[in-house]
Amino acid sequence: MIFLFIALPLVVAGLLPLIGKISKKALPDILANGVFLVLLVYAGIVGKSLISQGGIVQQLVWLGEPVNIHLALDGFSLFMLFTVTLVGLCVCLYSINYMEHYGDKATYYALLLIMLAGMNGLLLVTDLFQVYIFLEVAAIASYALVAYGLGHDELEASYKYLMLSAVASAFILAAIVLIYGLTGSLGFESAAAGLRGLDARYMVGLCSAFFIFGFGLKAALIPFHAWLPDAHPSAPAPISAVLSGLLIKVSGIYALTRIFLNVLGLTPALSTILMYLGAISVVVAAFLALGQKDIKRMLAYSSISQVGYIVLGIGLGTPLGILGGLFHLLNHAVAKSLLFLNSGSIEMSTGTRNLDEMGGLAKRMPWTAGTSLVGSLSIAGVPPLGGFWSKLIIVIALIQAHHWVFALIAILASVLTLWYYLLIQRQAFFGRLNERWREVKEAPLWMTLSTVILGLLCIAFGIFFSLIVGSWIEPARDALTAGAQALLTTKGM
Amino acid sequence: MTLQIALLGGVVLLSVAAILVRDILKAAICLAVASLLLGILFFVLNAPYAGVFEISVVAGLITVLFIVTIALTRAEGDVRESKWVAWVFPLFFIVFLAIDLLTMKALIGKIPTLASSPEGGTFGEALWKGRTFDLVAQIGVIFAGVFAVLALFRKRSKDE
Repeated sequence: MIFLFIALPLVVAGLLPLIGKISKKALPDILANGVFLVLLVYAGIVGKSLISQGGIVQQLVWLGEPVNIHLALDGFSLFMLFTVTLVGLCVCLYSINYMEHYGDKATYYALLLIMLAGMNGLLLVTDLFQVYIFLEVAAIASYALVAYGLGHDELEASYKYLMLSAVASAFILAAIVLIYGLTGSLGFESAAAGLRGLDARYMVGLCSAFFIFGFGLKAALIPFHAWLPDAHPSAPAPISAVLSGLLIKVSGIYALTRIFLNVLGLTPALSTILMYLGAISVVVAAFLALGQKDIKRMLAYSSISQVGYIVLGIGLGTPLGILGGLFHLLNHAVAKSLLFLNSGSIEMSTGTRNLDEMGGLAKRMPWTAGTSLVGSLSIAGVPPLGGFWSKLIIVIALIQAHHWVFALIAILASVLTLWYYLLIQRQAFFGRLNERWREVKEAPLWMTLSTVILGLLCIAFGIFFSLIVGSWIEPARDALTAGAQALLTTKGM
Repeated sequence: MTLQIALLGGVVLLSVAAILVRDILKAAICLAVASLLLGILFFVLNAPYAGVFEISVVAGLITVLFIVTIALTRAEGDVRESKWVAWVFPLFFIVFLAIDLLTMKALIGKIPTLASSPEGGTFGEALWKGRTFDLVAQIGVIFAGVFAVLALFRKRSKDE
């Protein structure tokens, strides 16, 4: 019953306001975390066995009658579901303490669960129009969550995010309409078959351009990134973690990859465009991150840069490139969520996000400092952490495909990444303890526990990388490589 | 065909006016009339259900919401806009029109007859049987909207 991934969060979200009347804190905490835990276990155990023979399409049966709801599960969607529920659970655990001072936890959890349902729906649909609607479900919930603090900055950032996201949705919808106009179909498989039988190269090119613009905005690739550096820092820390760690990947990278590789087919021209967009994002965002004083803003720019690596790997289109891109998606989801959560812990303890005002916090917040170091080193690509292996795979894939310049860019930008993450560490955690922070205490239990889990995951993904790649990333890659056959044939691979 | 082009021209002109006029009440009315013309266009193009929804929801309900909101909020001085906004929109609009015209020109003659496609059928069949999953997603959209309103208009207690 993979419909559970959509139905359970929606049903619990609908019940939460009523439950919130009975118990303002404990029950909403337990229910929301319970949903994430159940879905994580379901993805890890049942989902894995369901696709043991390859991808499946399940039809919903209601009271013994089949309903016209079809859900598809393959290696790629299961890998994404696993990532979403795993990181989502840690974020939800963190919210137990962090969201206390925001009030109305029931509504917060309801919005978080609706966003989860939207992301899960997007991962399971078999139809282009359903991609659009579930994209909107997740997006509407995220606008409200960004503005949850109700301050001036939060509301302004949310409005900017809404406006740019609406433009992105309009382009995505226009591309879907064009495909429907050309093929008379919206299903992934039937639309792909319809497009193969047509000689409409320019129209497909236009659809691709609209999709790149729309999903590029959702994924915040440069030059479509303007909303992200405002929206992600303004949101409450757990929401920044979900937006940077999950939402831009699901509504940007996943949707883009699924449509380009499974519907339109990755052509050499598309591959080149994606690689250029990826490389530009990697470099430009890394330089922009370097100049930031606000820790969350620095992390937001870093997200754009790391998404660039993922697009560079997937855009390359070779099996190894896709593998590296997907593995980096997982590593970045875990490490960036960890860093955003830690920035929330620092902000809650000190009341500031300005790196210049921090200093020596490791003495007062050792767990936060330790896990931050692990997350930073993983994203920067330091061995033996997960980020090192994923970046290494991307670089090897680029070299194998004779893209020497892109490989060099990936390596040099990684050094730049290490530089600005070491700056964060030095300015926030090391050096003399600022007198103002003498009374600062470590974050509360659930906040610390969730960051420790994410830190351990960063280490585990590095040490057991072959196991993770074999069990989760390779099945995901295999679900996609068929779509890159045209490109591979052109490249003679 | 002349009627269709006249209606379409009206939709475009009034939509542009809705963006360019400074008074938000006038902008809301322009949008409502544009939507009304679009609704009529749907009727002319044999899409009565789309026409009914367009006129009742967009031209009717949403316009009422806009006007009520404008009436309930106080004007607090003019909002300053940077000068480049006045340049960017017309430029973007011209580029969009050019792309749109080229797209439509390329599409004419290539669009299959959709009524005979496997996803065709009556409106009821298409909505309830063909697009059942969209309705589940719609529930998600409605939930998201309701909870967004609850979150953004909540009262914060003293200890927050």
